[in-house]
Amino acid sequence: MKCDSCDEKATVFYTQVIEGKLKKFVLCEACAQKKGITNVDDLLMGNDLLANSPPETKIQDIVAELNQENCSACGFSLDDFRKVGRLGCPDCYQVFSREIVERLPSMHKGGVHKGYLPEGIAIKQALKSELASLTEKLENAIEDERFEEAAKLRDQISKIEKEKGLVEL
Amino acid sequence: MRFATLLKHPADWMMGHGAETSVVLTSRVRLARNLAKSPFPGWSRKIDREEVYSSLREKLESVPGMKDGFSHELCDLDPLQKQVLVERHLISREQAARSEGSGSVVNRKQTLSLMINEEDHLRIQAIRPSLQLREAFKLAHAVDQRLEQLVDFAIDPSLGYLTACPTNLGTGMRASSMLHLPGLVLSDQIGPVLKGINKLGLAVRGLYGEGTESLGNLYQISNQSTLGESEGEILDRLTRVIGDVAQYELQARERLMTNDSIMVRDRIGRAAGNLSYAHIITSKEALNHLSMLRLGADLTLLPADLVESCDRLFMETQPAHLQWGAGRKLEPEARDIIRAQMIREKLQSSLPPAIDLSGKEN
Repeated sequence: MKCDSCDEKATVFYTQVIEGKLKKFVLCEACAQKKGITNVDDLLMGNDLLANSPPETKIQDIVAELNQENCSACGFSLDDFRKVGRLGCPDCYQVFSREIVERLPSMHKGGVHKGYLPEGIAIKQALKSELASLTEKLENAIEDERFEEAAKLRDQISKIEKEKGLVEL
Repeated sequence: MRFATLLKHPADWMMGHGAETSVVLTSRVRLARNLAKSPFPGWSRKIDREEVYSSLREKLESVPGMKDGFSHELCDLDPLQKQVLVERHLISREQAARSEGSGSVVNRKQTLSLMINEEDHLRIQAIRPSLQLREAFKLAHAVDQRLEQLVDFAIDPSLGYLTACPTNLGTGMRASSMLHLPGLVLSDQIGPVLKGINKLGLAVRGLYGEGTESLGNLYQISNQSTLGESEGEILDRLTRVIGDVAQYELQARERLMTNDSIMVRDRIGRAAGNLSYAHIITSKEALNHLSMLRLGADLTLLPADLVESCDRLFMETQPAHLQWGAGRKLEPEARDIIRAQMIREKLQSSLPPAIDLSGKEN
């Protein structure tokens, strides 16, 4: 999982109830430190209850900051989306993906597109899922020390990656 | 093609052409598509929308069959003309509220209608008579495949087609049929049937889509979910459910004729009487009586060619169509008088002077 404010791997997972609503966010170590929530002991409920000073206000600031993120392509904000239920441009789907994905189960039968895709994109998608399954097999093979098989898998993967490069749109 | 030329002929799908339309009148499929690099119409500046419009318009007009069709920017049409297109289901109510940078391209037969800058940059809609959702999809899909050669659509491999509203995400496909369900209404079974349809994850609406009440016992059934299933799966499920509802309707009519035939004959007879002799009639009253008359024709209590007369009157007595036909804007009271006159004239030629609804067995 990626950090909510940069692309690093997230290691700090935080959930808090604010105004009756569950807010979740995930951060990498560096961002968490920047926002002053690395000291896990401070976040434990026991400490909160015994409270010297609960980190609540700080947390709300962070939540607000994360929510104010605007789409860099069109300027649409998460607040706008919450108000109108529509998005500003195709890029918004990436920017607000967390909030959108959360809402999909109440709208649709599933969360992944199973319908028609134009040929180029369909091929790319097929290669991508083949790559994912081969990579998993490769990891398993390495773990089980089946090196001969791993080498074969590695060759297959690099071959597909080349093909994928050819259809890259 | 001029607006007047478009309207001179009823749409291909309004005529039925021998298709089985006693319950399912029409099938519609629309695909929502957006350009990859532009903000959605609801969040774009006028200048962006005009750019999208002019770049798309040219490409849409190049699609086979659209060449000598109807193609206009909505600001070129007056409110009445827009309303006529809404009544014909060629543009949506939402689009009728737009003007510059929004446009409509319709083929001659009115089977294909392409809406530019509605809620999405492009909506491709196909309409067929009777229960032909697959055929309608094929028509729209052919246009989609043609256009994807010319335009870079906004697509995410795992979310599918990206749309202004996430409720259209994935296939971007909304498929719907219009059903005439007087039997289920008269026998008080409509409530449970509609509830059942809702439970299956399908939507039921009135004559003109979202938020409209049901008039003339007409109901639209459509898919809600557009993501997580293929187009084929959605169309199959919808076709199965609509087929079942049509079957229930026919059974309800049969049962009514066995158990309650006097009530049915009474309703049809009163509708025929009112329509034949009224001099002031609202659109709502007309739709409800025409529904009964159509039922009478479907049950062979009245001449079969009345079905077509009813279907044409359904459309032609709608407020905008009526004013367009009269050639001027009219207040509701004046419309009600003209509507009654239109109906009387039409029925004089298609309804026998003395209709016998008593039935031999009574």
